[in-house]
Amino acid sequence: MRTIRRTCGAALAAVALVGVAACSDGASSGDGGPVTLTMWHGLTGPDGPAFQEVVDNFNDSQDEVTIEAEALPWDSLYQQFLTAATSDDGPDLVAMSASRLPQYAERGVLGSTDEFYADDTYMDTSVLAEGAVQASVYDGVNYGVPLNLGPVLMYWNKALFEEAGLDPEAPPTTWEEFEEMIPDLTVDEDGDGTPEQYPIAMGDHSTVPVFPSFLWNGGGGVVSDDGTTSLLGDAATVAAAEHWVNLVREEQITPVGMSGADSDQLFQAELAAITINGPWMTAGLTEAGLDYDVTVPMAGPEGQSILGDVVSMTISQRLTDAEKDAAFTFFAYWESVESQATWANGSGFPAIRTDMPGDAVTNEWAAVFGAPEVLENVRPYLTGVPGSGEINEDIFTPALQSALNGTGEVADLFPAAGEEIQAILDDGS
Amino acid sequence: MRIGRTVAGRQARAAWMFLAPGLALLTLFTAWPLLRTAYLSFTEYSLLTPPEWVGLANYRELLGDDQVTNAFQNTVIYAVVVTPVTIALALGLAMALNAKFFGRGLVRTAVFVPFVVSLAVVSIAFRFLLDPNYGLVTHWLDGVGLAPTQGALAQPGTAMAAVMAVGVWKNVGFYMVMFLAGLQSIPRDLYEAAQLDGASRLQKFRAVTMPLLSNQTMLVSILAAIASFQVFDQIKVMTNGGPAMSTETLVVMVNRVGINNLEFGYGSAVSVVLLLLILVLSMAQYFYFGRKQVRY
Repeated sequence: MRTIRRTCGAALAAVALVGVAACSDGASSGDGGPVTLTMWHGLTGPDGPAFQEVVDNFNDSQDEVTIEAEALPWDSLYQQFLTAATSDDGPDLVAMSASRLPQYAERGVLGSTDEFYADDTYMDTSVLAEGAVQASVYDGVNYGVPLNLGPVLMYWNKALFEEAGLDPEAPPTTWEEFEEMIPDLTVDEDGDGTPEQYPIAMGDHSTVPVFPSFLWNGGGGVVSDDGTTSLLGDAATVAAAEHWVNLVREEQITPVGMSGADSDQLFQAELAAITINGPWMTAGLTEAGLDYDVTVPMAGPEGQSILGDVVSMTISQRLTDAEKDAAFTFFAYWESVESQATWANGSGFPAIRTDMPGDAVTNEWAAVFGAPEVLENVRPYLTGVPGSGEINEDIFTPALQSALNGTGEVADLFPAAGEEIQAILDDGS
Repeated sequence: MRIGRTVAGRQARAAWMFLAPGLALLTLFTAWPLLRTAYLSFTEYSLLTPPEWVGLANYRELLGDDQVTNAFQNTVIYAVVVTPVTIALALGLAMALNAKFFGRGLVRTAVFVPFVVSLAVVSIAFRFLLDPNYGLVTHWLDGVGLAPTQGALAQPGTAMAAVMAVGVWKNVGFYMVMFLAGLQSIPRDLYEAAQLDGASRLQKFRAVTMPLLSNQTMLVSILAAIASFQVFDQIKVMTNGGPAMSTETLVVMVNRVGINNLEFGYGSAVSVVLLLLILVLSMAQYFYFGRKQVRY
């Protein structure tokens, strides 16, 4: 049955791509009987098995609800979900980045999860990290329940710090401290002007938005927290961006034009001393035998916001009450202390609950990423903004790349890009 | 007369029966999407809600859209460089590989093989080859002092050049085969006659080869130009239109606007503009080469 369903799903995706929907992939829900819900998620890395373990535990724990989880690469998931949703078909539950969620919520594809938070029927939701819960709110309605919360922290290579004559236990805590370390952490052995080792590895596209977090810590940002105003043309944003762009252009602190994967590779190959990334990177670095540690990113002159990437579990708008109840039952199971311990220990992600018992999480990295001072300062990027993808990928990233490439200046590029962003925000309001 | 009409009728019916499956597929996968795209270009459509008629609003918007201008320029630059270079190289290779020499089959295969490999695979391979830290090509360029300070795909100028080079390398084998077929159909006695008249190699090329290859040249030019204007896979995989949209062509833009931003109406309008562009260009090429066509 599972094979047939999968085959059918694959056929649906292929057919939907050419515009002909001809296959049904709906969930089964009996009249009061057991409910089967299909779920798509993009946890294809080391976090996938940890997620599946919780799903299997849930399916084994009772006979009323079965979750059939299917992992797809994130890009494919978004594209296939789009075509599936147009034919009112596809999965019953979808895990998606909270920043993507408003795009679908705005068009009525997703159902509200307000009932999940309304009372204690399913669980006491006040124990969940507030930032993770708020990330799925769009237009006053909550459309998701947090699957994971990935604070983006600073990794540093202790061996490279030692080789540079720096204290391996003392990473930079401020922008100024980092700048003082740049000459020590830069290695240009052949003197050709292109370093063989960079102080930091930062991707400028297809990556976690590290640059926007620098803008926050410089007192600016891309969009205001309420999602109504573009901040890209503000003096503080321009000053913060100029600061980092100058470091890249003049001091060559990082190669330009790297994707997130390129940046990860550079750090893993020990060609960069620092990088800023989420907890998903710990497994690969530990396996590669790197001597590294993780801490909160260096603070800017105006603060130390920590970027928090949230994936939310959302429900299709077409679910019946019985199916919605089944979905919320699974969500509550996912957020339970036992499941969160399984998840955190298996993936290195922090638990989403703020009341985890001290001995429940044994994965050292999950404890670092889930430290109270981290979770309290987590700030999501572009959540609740319907045009988030367009704002980040089509406007902010090209403006940033032009500045980094030297084909334009921040003072010209950012205010112009800010006006384009404002137009999108005004359209969406 | 009656018999003739019956025979003709039968033949016509048989012809339509044989044509029917092809016509049905053509209608389903070409004509219908084309008409649908034209219709959607006059609407605002997110795929998730029904299309809303907006008249010429999308076309008015794209006239003042810097991103369209940028994508248009990139498309033209790509086509203007890649098309003639591909044709010239394909013709040169065809001439060289038309001569008899040991290992000719192997060399022909080697030139043709890139065309058989998936463009996505080729693009991924070249991303690795051009990687600023580990890439083999970067290493070679570095050895002769030509490696860009940053990666070749990280800077606007070099990124476009790299994408164009891969486009030429990938497709040159296919067009070479078409030219080879043309070269082999030229009667040998024409060259012998030219030889007797004392023509040089260049004169034989200009007076015999090129005129008699006019059919192939027209076909290759039109196909190569259309392919250049529709370039998508390699850019999507190698640069995704970056850095700073410096390699974003019209088709890549259509994909971004439609799939990423859910603006299928606007994306359709850009598609229609591209269609008209290709149509005009193909017609121009057809008439230009049609006048120069040689029949014998």
